[in-house]
Amino acid sequence: MSESAGRKLGVVARLGSALLGLFRYIGGMGWLLADTVRLAARGLFVPGVKIGRPALAAQMIRVGVRSLGIVMLVHLFIGIILALQMAPVLRDFEMVDRVATIVAIAQVRELGPLITAIVLSGFAGAAIAAELGTMVVGEEIEALRAQALDPVRFLVVPRVLATVVMTVCLTVLADLVGMFGAYLTGAGALGISTSVFYHTSVDALTVRSFLTGLTKAGMFGLLISVIACFEGLRVGGGAEGVGRATTRTVVYSIFSLILADCVFTILFYAYDL
Amino acid sequence: MSSYDSSAISQVRALRTPGGVQAVVVTLQGEVDLQHSPAVRQQLIDEAGKRPGRLVVDLSAVNYMDSSGVASLVETLQRVRGYGGELILVNPTARVRSIFEIARLDRIFRILTDLGEAMGE
Amino acid sequence: MPEEIAISVEELVKSFDGHVVLDGVNLQVRRGETMVVMGGSGCGKSTLLRHMIGSIFPDSGRVVLLGEDLNELDGAGLDRLRLRFGILFQSGALFNSMTVGENVALPLVEHTELDPATIEIMVKMKLEAVGLREHADKMPAQISGGMKKRAGLARALALDPEILFYDEPSAGLDPVTSAEIDQLIMDLSGKLGVTSVVVTHEMDSAFRIASRMAMLDRGRVVAVGTPAEFRDSADPMVKQFINGLAEGPITARRQESNYEEDILGVSPRHGR
Repeated sequence: MSESAGRKLGVVARLGSALLGLFRYIGGMGWLLADTVRLAARGLFVPGVKIGRPALAAQMIRVGVRSLGIVMLVHLFIGIILALQMAPVLRDFEMVDRVATIVAIAQVRELGPLITAIVLSGFAGAAIAAELGTMVVGEEIEALRAQALDPVRFLVVPRVLATVVMTVCLTVLADLVGMFGAYLTGAGALGISTSVFYHTSVDALTVRSFLTGLTKAGMFGLLISVIACFEGLRVGGGAEGVGRATTRTVVYSIFSLILADCVFTILFYAYDL
Repeated sequence: MSSYDSSAISQVRALRTPGGVQAVVVTLQGEVDLQHSPAVRQQLIDEAGKRPGRLVVDLSAVNYMDSSGVASLVETLQRVRGYGGELILVNPTARVRSIFEIARLDRIFRILTDLGEAMGE
Repeated sequence: MPEEIAISVEELVKSFDGHVVLDGVNLQVRRGETMVVMGGSGCGKSTLLRHMIGSIFPDSGRVVLLGEDLNELDGAGLDRLRLRFGILFQSGALFNSMTVGENVALPLVEHTELDPATIEIMVKMKLEAVGLREHADKMPAQISGGMKKRAGLARALALDPEILFYDEPSAGLDPVTSAEIDQLIMDLSGKLGVTSVVVTHEMDSAFRIASRMAMLDRGRVVAVGTPAEFRDSADPMVKQFINGLAEGPITARRQESNYEEDILGVSPRHGR
């Protein structure tokens, strides 16, 4: 075999093994997701199965309440920025009051869910990965298994449910705060009256926009929490591994959020939703 | 609670000691484990609820007792002491006795070797 | 009564990333005895323990625990079996989000239908047995390493297991605490007839608690016997290990490797 052919084979082999690794990763996460959904469904719908409501409540507080302030602040700024960016263009068309329309739609359909999810991936996702990773290092996960307690049911289900619910709830608030930010700009700098802004916004918004936005939010919550739990549970190699898992969680989350957003938006566009 | 498996309770007798004290003798048998101890607990709590002067639990036919069984006896002791009565355990096998020792309860319970002694005084 | 076998390890082979960790391990643990598994770091004793508790599975060979072949059990079957044995992990492995008492109560709450009042009493009993009753309401972060281990033992005892596994019970403990843990191990097996498997490299502790001991080296059991047999053993490897000598067959291996060739870079097969 010539040397260049050998090198080519090396590249192909490396590509193949990378691809295989990727499939294995996604496959592993798929299993975790399937397990989570099955156990969550059983916990929610089969009477007598313990789901750990206190654990769920604790996780919701952790995911939701703690990131409330930062999510709200970020969306206030987004609203202000968006309004200011659009204003000059719209002024050329003498349609400055349409700032309200654009912000309402952008916020509810796109930025509300996406930015909330990105903030949460840094907040809740990283925290979940670090927490579960630390539990792996401290033999806590093995101890759970050894006591016939399924870590997925015990740890993953409450975290995933809490993250999904809180992403949706925070998105609703984020939508409102974003529009409020735009209103502040509109009223303060662009000379749009309160009533015009309000009516323009309401006209722009449809139930459909809300629903597509919130569907996305729910899916984003699922993505963040499943990635975080998966990364946390597969930690190996001590404290260093926990750090790596946390970083990977944030990076992979943000990437998959935007990828998923793109897919959803294409679907919503294609089906005219 | 009839849904519990009560096969570990073989007999419950209401007696009177020579000194005229109201006594109840509960005889347990077989294995007082996670599966059986809820029924045993219920029975003992019911008996304690009738406030006999002396509640005697005969353990001579118990060949295995786990800590849920011991815990049920502790709960009974709490109640019996609460109304000023007396709880006596009779003739536990060495193996059952050692469970009390591991949990350092052998000093807290009054443990006698035979039923006659428990019914005396 | 015939001698009953609680755990039977048969021809166990396991490798990680091409590195053979267990290379045909055979070991039988009798009901009621305390089997101490010894060996240096990396000899495979922790891996062996993890096979015995059904935490990892072998490439070949099998573990039969209380009459059940672990390879043939499904998840539910394994979980049923897991309720019959307890494990003390090296770090204690307490759940850090719960108090010591809640940690001990967890298996009872999750796996039994017992009344909360009964569970509360049982938790106190277990904690009293390990001398931690007054610390029930503390969080794991607030107690010392030795206390964590004792709390982990109380949790392992929660369901009155038939077998107890101990992973390095005295590692990182002061001599007094370590002796206390040893005493507990002996009480549990002596008074309750619990079968114990203890993985350790602490020789004092091993000789104190063992009814029989096994020595593991490079993934194989090289010796099994009573503490007396070990003490009198003529096997140079056993001698070196139990006496903690710097010179002997275990360390000689290292000297035999091709250091000179390696450092001078003249070996014809240095890529081996």
